Amino acid sequence: MYFVPGQPVTAVVQRIEIHKLRQGEHLILGFSIGGGIDQDPGQNPFSEDKTDKGIYVTRVTPGGPAEVADLRMGDKIMQVNGWDMTMVTHDQARKRLTKKNEKVVRLLVTRKSLEEAVKHSMTTYPKQ
Amino acid sequence: MPVDKFANMEEKLWILEDLNMMYIRQIALSLQDSDIQKKIDHEIRMRDGACKLLAACSQRDQALEAAKSLQTCSTRIMAYMSELQRMKEAQVMQRAARRSSDAGPMDDRLPCKGKVAISDLRIPLMWKDTEYFKNKGELHRCAVFCLLQLGGEIFDTDMVMVDRTLTDICFDNTIVFNEASPGFELRVELYSCCSEDDYSAGSTPRKLASKLSSSLGRSAGKKLRAAMEPGACSPVSNGGAAPLLLPVPSVPGPKYHLLAHTTLSLPHVQDSFRTHDLTISGNEECSYWLPLYGSVCCRLAAQPHCMTQQMMSGYMKVKQLGGDPQSWTKVYAVLKGTNLFCYHRQEDVECNVEPAFTIAINKETRIRASEKDPQSKAQSICISNQYGGEDVTHTVTTDCREDTHRWMEAFWQQFYDMSQWKQCCDDLMKIELPSPRKPAPVTPKQGSLYHEMVIETSDDLSSTVSDILARRMQELELRSQLGTSPTWTSLFEEEAHQSPGHPRLCTSRLPGHSPHSPHCLARSPMSPRRCPQLGLLSSDASLTSDSDSYCSSSPCSHHHWAEPPSNFSLLSSSSSSPSRLRPRTLSLDAKLSTLRGRRYGGGGINQCSCQPPPSSLLTPLPAASCSPRSPRSTQTILSCSSSTSSTSSSNSEGSHSPESSEGAPFSRPSPARRSLRNLRARLDPRNWLQSQV
Repeated sequence: MYFVPGQPVTAVVQRIEIHKLRQGEHLILGFSIGGGIDQDPGQNPFSEDKTDKGIYVTRVTPGGPAEVADLRMGDKIMQVNGWDMTMVTHDQARKRLTKKNEKVVRLLVTRKSLEEAVKHSMTTYPKQ
Repeated sequence: MPVDKFANMEEKLWILEDLNMMYIRQIALSLQDSDIQKKIDHEIRMRDGACKLLAACSQRDQALEAAKSLQTCSTRIMAYMSELQRMKEAQVMQRAARRSSDAGPMDDRLPCKGKVAISDLRIPLMWKDTEYFKNKGELHRCAVFCLLQLGGEIFDTDMVMVDRTLTDICFDNTIVFNEASPGFELRVELYSCCSEDDYSAGSTPRKLASKLSSSLGRSAGKKLRAAMEPGACSPVSNGGAAPLLLPVPSVPGPKYHLLAHTTLSLPHVQDSFRTHDLTISGNEECSYWLPLYGSVCCRLAAQPHCMTQQMMSGYMKVKQLGGDPQSWTKVYAVLKGTNLFCYHRQEDVECNVEPAFTIAINKETRIRASEKDPQSKAQSICISNQYGGEDVTHTVTTDCREDTHRWMEAFWQQFYDMSQWKQCCDDLMKIELPSPRKPAPVTPKQGSLYHEMVIETSDDLSSTVSDILARRMQELELRSQLGTSPTWTSLFEEEAHQSPGHPRLCTSRLPGHSPHSPHCLARSPMSPRRCPQLGLLSSDASLTSDSDSYCSSSPCSHHHWAEPPSNFSLLSSSSSSPSRLRPRTLSLDAKLSTLRGRRYGGGGINQCSCQPPPSSLLTPLPAASCSPRSPRSTQTILSCSSSTSSTSSSNSEGSHSPESSEGAPFSRPSPARRSLRNLRARLDPRNWLQSQV
């Protein structure tokens, strides 16, 4: 899941649909994000490539809407409701997730295990 | 005289319109369809209202909205009229066909209708860099909206003002069309209207207008002159179909022009966002031009009725093939979507009880009528499915032949629908019905993108209670300087009030610091008790640096850690040596301690001498707040200080987290200041921010 700046990124993604939960007067999703093009990518504990400035899920509240939707810690968020998240600032990312008039967010996330799964399914095992 | 010719033309147009109306009424009468007639009448009334509003309103925004409704009404009228004509034609054809020959039984199966919803329309723009740097003239703004047409239903989205600060045109509306057939064609049209001031035709006196047009820049003047020409007031082009049939009355005011359009149909339906191409009409010379990227993103979902409604229901007997020939189960079966739900009783359906079992009816299912069962007279139906590689067959029979026949019909219809609606029948697509909201307030004109950056205190739910408490404490301290303090703080402060002698002790600490040893003011003897409570408050004084040297923070803090005992000694000795009055330093900690002292004693200190220039304090703050030594990633500025402080020695002065300490310690820091500090913390590249969503 490394990227070369200037080249298009391909990744195996999973679609995750999260329904926001109302808590008082806030609509929460139940996870925390880190990263962004204005952040220091070297401090990202989840990224493989330490120059990746994407948005990563750093924490998932147990029992929250994100956990229910199978979002996992360490996932990299590629798109939110059609909006790209690979080249955004941290604040832009937060804003795109917390729009007040959207009750559902549809994310495209990628994680290392997905890549591995695809790789495994593509390699041929030696017949015995 | 051009004005007279104009008036004459208008009169002629009105007459034509009246004639057309009569013609339409006749057609409607002959079709004996009063529904369309009512709709047309309604739309015409709406249109007249919009025209009057347009003529009467003075505000530009109102005029744009009225023009938008005018455009929508006109389009609706055109659509209804063409539908009327089509119906008339169909009737005539039918009559002709009937007369010619007996057409024979109509064997065509009609697919079921469905709901089609389009939402989250987004049209990216592609501004040239020259647009951003062009300062001459006003911002080029356009009012845009989308008109969506499917069959006979036409909806418009809300109007959006677009200028070079926007990178995409977004329409938040969700539009649902209720009766769409699988061969639907959803036409999306983007209309735009130039929205610069002073361009409303007829409002500016000609002399002034000509002066303006000659004095403005070349492109702006061109646009103005174009707007002033009578040609601009001509009726909006109505797509070329029957231009004389009910022409739009020309009304002075803003006019919308078609900027781009596209047509979406069943292959474009998907449960996620997709990008489609736009056909752009118009070029750069037009006043209503916007640099479109050439595509539109949206979510087009469809819910055919066969997936959401019960297509067929009734009692039947089911038997699994290979089972006991006598094991017929009587069930109440409901055919809905890709399943045949079998309930024990009919009431279960209403009570939302789980069905007894479910038989899948999807593209892979095979249904055939089996030969007559020797035991019963009626025919039975065999439904075969493949469950994980295994063939499972259910046999279904009903009481009488007509029922069986009806069930077969229903199954065939279901298969036909699924073949027509294709990918929409794989899974039920969700359509969120637009909730009735209050209309969004009109946002004021924004000068630049930077206006959108709202700097607010982060609402971090994960900040610990003690952080919140700490924040409160600081606020209260400051407030208590003014004499007021809420009662609950007395819990913490009772020790302070008991010892009036301490203030002097505390304040005299102040001069005891050398300008280069940063700080940790030792506490007064009462502090050990307070330590556990305010442990988190004690932002390591090593973090707070001398205000006079930004860079010296790190070496200083190391220095500090090595020196705790000296501070205590300072304390003990300070009471005995008030003469150790060093020149007041501008150190942050000095101020902090002063603050503490003041809280304990409540005044009596020379304020002015302790007040460093606020600006000097602001600079060290980022270094102070985010210690790179902290191995854990930080959440907010407060928790940052708390995390580092917990690793600091406990005898550090209970100085405040940098949040409230800097700036004006003797007055309550304003929310703007606090947010400014938060912003600095956030902008510091050494932080790796995390936000809770």
